[in-house]
Amino acid sequence: MTFKWRKWNNILHRDIGYLIAALTLIYGISGLAVNHAADWNPNYKIEKEFVKIDPITSTGRDEIVAEARKRLNLVDEPRNVFRPDRETLQLFFEGKTYSVDLPTGNVLVESTTPRRVLFEMNQLHLNAPKKAWTYIADLYALSLISMALTGMFMLRGKTGITGRGAWLTAIGVLVPVLYWLYYTFA
Amino acid sequence: MKIKFSLFALALLIATLAFAGEEKNYGTDISLKEKTAIADILASPELYNGKQVLVEGPVVDVCPERGCWIKIGSNKEFESIRLKVDDGEIIFPMDAKGKNVLAEGTVSVKTISKEDQIKQGEHYAKEEGTTFDPSTVKGPKTIIQIKGMGAVIK
Repeated sequence: MTFKWRKWNNILHRDIGYLIAALTLIYGISGLAVNHAADWNPNYKIEKEFVKIDPITSTGRDEIVAEARKRLNLVDEPRNVFRPDRETLQLFFEGKTYSVDLPTGNVLVESTTPRRVLFEMNQLHLNAPKKAWTYIADLYALSLISMALTGMFMLRGKTGITGRGAWLTAIGVLVPVLYWLYYTFA
Repeated sequence: MKIKFSLFALALLIATLAFAGEEKNYGTDISLKEKTAIADILASPELYNGKQVLVEGPVVDVCPERGCWIKIGSNKEFESIRLKVDDGEIIFPMDAKGKNVLAEGTVSVKTISKEDQIKQGEHYAKEEGTTFDPSTVKGPKTIIQIKGMGAVIK
């Protein structure tokens, strides 16, 4: 009985493909999102709004906070309060920060909302959880390597690695090599 | 099947909500026991340069792009210190803003040139989505920050 390596190659390619389909979508979608981080924030939707209140005239810290909250109609207790300088008061709430310019009453309201699903995908892609996820990501990387290798040997004949496959694989090799040469020497 | 899936989704939601309010660890575990006041570091940076410290305070700002730094409010008014981590080493969430953090790291005191300050100012402004006026930079400046290793946000 001969070992039918191509049959096993194809079975491996198929089953690993099923196993990593979800992760490939996560890494692929997040890759697109993170790749353009210079143009947009892939994790959060940050909205800035300016509002105007009367200038804050109180002098003590607690009084300033109380007056600002009253003028802004903020009933809830802030998570925290900070004064980066004498003229500014920051009130922190969940997902929202009020930066009050005390002498003018100009207020910057910054709301931060995570881009649900994409945020989680990016966290996994960038290995924010660390710990066990590092090993899952390693396994995924090994699976991708095995997909590339088994993929090349799935078919025989004209469309296999000795025919059309050789040309396409060569193009795939040339893309990073040529780009790297261009990047290094141009 | 549908019921099983709904129960699973519900359990997942409950677990998520249960963990949502808890403190969260980032990076390496905290090893120091004694805290150093941020005001002390800022008052005498040369004493702390290169030393490992444990600081505590409110998170008053977070790098919105990569979560690679946080600003921690000092125990003294109008002061804060930046805790910077290597990109990808720790990713601080924006949701940390306003929460309290206990963070450990090494104090770094550097004097940076006018040109580097402008570059850094422009970089941070881009990250924060604000603008930076280079004319505000008058000359070399001493930058005091903490290279973060671990943090607990609660």
